[in-house]
Amino acid sequence: MKITKIQIIGNLVGLIPGIYLLYRVLSVNLSANPIQTATVFTGKTAIYALLVSLFASPLSRLLKLRVFHQIRKTAGIYGFYYALVHFLIFVWADYEFNLSWIIPELKQKTYLQLGLIGLFFLVPLAITSIERIKKELGRTWKKVHSSIYIIVMIILLHVALASKGDLINPAILIALYLLAMIMRLPFLKSVHINNPPPWFKKIDAFLTC
Amino acid sequence: MKQKIPASQITPEHEYVSRRRFIKQALLTTSASLLAASCGTDPTSTKPTTDPEFAAFNSQTDEQGNPITAYTDIIGYTNYYEFSTSKTQPTKLAASFQTDPWSVRIDGLVNNPITLNMEDIRSEFQTEERIYRMRCVEGWSMVIPWVGFPLSKLLEYVQPTSDAQYVRFETVYDPEQMPGQSNPSYPWPYVEGLRMDEAGHDLTLLATGIYGKDLTPQNGAPIRLVVPWKYGFKSIKSIVHIELVREMPVSLWMTVGPTEYGFYANVNPEVDHPRWSQATERRIGASGRIDTQLFNGYEEDVAYLYEGMDLKTNY
Repeated sequence: MKITKIQIIGNLVGLIPGIYLLYRVLSVNLSANPIQTATVFTGKTAIYALLVSLFASPLSRLLKLRVFHQIRKTAGIYGFYYALVHFLIFVWADYEFNLSWIIPELKQKTYLQLGLIGLFFLVPLAITSIERIKKELGRTWKKVHSSIYIIVMIILLHVALASKGDLINPAILIALYLLAMIMRLPFLKSVHINNPPPWFKKIDAFLTC
Repeated sequence: MKQKIPASQITPEHEYVSRRRFIKQALLTTSASLLAASCGTDPTSTKPTTDPEFAAFNSQTDEQGNPITAYTDIIGYTNYYEFSTSKTQPTKLAASFQTDPWSVRIDGLVNNPITLNMEDIRSEFQTEERIYRMRCVEGWSMVIPWVGFPLSKLLEYVQPTSDAQYVRFETVYDPEQMPGQSNPSYPWPYVEGLRMDEAGHDLTLLATGIYGKDLTPQNGAPIRLVVPWKYGFKSIKSIVHIELVREMPVSLWMTVGPTEYGFYANVNPEVDHPRWSQATERRIGASGRIDTQLFNGYEEDVAYLYEGMDLKTNY
């Protein structure tokens, strides 16, 4: 399969938060509470990436550009990676795989249960993103992957319940999610720009080859 | 009830640190750190501070042997919603916070209502050093060498009447200087309260300094409360008003999140919080999680205050 420019760019952008985090870990500059900072940072990166992935299809349709469609998978995969690292920081770096600490917390805290469920259901989506498996699945792939709408909702609930102070930040994320969903409504699906400027098309063609 | 001081503690908590003792201790500490340096290890801190004025503190511990948290962490990682909900922003946003002149009004059910400025307070009440664990409700903790005096001394000074049941504290309200106070999600000013016996307990401190220096604005300058067996948010900062009252005061957090924050807010690993672990905590500057202790490790000193009370309903 041919790798396009936008996919390379997508991968580079996807790696930046990880490199930045690693740099701060190695330079011992991750705040007075490094585990907390790393947990929040990876969690935020994951949800941003998943939201980008959700906007890919409707934006592609709206602007009649392929470029957005081609970063859908990259963004989704990075969303999964950062969610996985977020989880590993929690169970490994923070709770040291100590089940006598983890289990009671998991029983008590709804936000932890939701986060775990969200990650659990991201796994099959990540696996079926492998091109060969995707082809084998055929039409089923689309059904499997439409579960992302529910998964992101669960993850956003996890974010909202884990947030402290006022809920402005989770509210913004939820608003973005709802916007991405509204853009999928059948009567809006046919809405798109009629005469995209030519340079739009040029950039699109350049990035997607 | 008198606080017992374990012999292991370097600085006796309830004794004024005399100049002689301070010098002696500084010498001891210096030789200890030289010894440590010559062995190539410094077990006392993860973030060594080269500033010699911190040397006397960096090797000290609380009465349980926990090393004091680095000064840079204490002044750089704070919760002060009046400035920001971020932990690092208050340090920047409070940098120019005006704490001089400053006065504290003490009134309500007292025989001697009075307004004291900081000079009065400094000359009237002799300060001492107290090394306390500070447990934040967010699941992290520090060990802080406070400079302050028992709140009981101030209460003696104003003479509460027999009707006084609670002490109500209020932080300064000054949205011009405190950008967080423009956030309408919270009913400013910050209010906290203690029962009379809690307020009069010898561990309860009015602090004016940390590490032998005056409090920084982000740590609650010029005067704040420190109640070491309760979650950090009870230890109200930048106090301007102390009122003796009959009814239980309603704190800011009781108003904002009544199911999450009660009046007592005693550190208790058995009482959950929906977001943060109360069973375990991260000690800032140390690696790994540790078990949270009932009453933050001050059980022997304060458990009697709550005898017969259900701590799960009186959270």
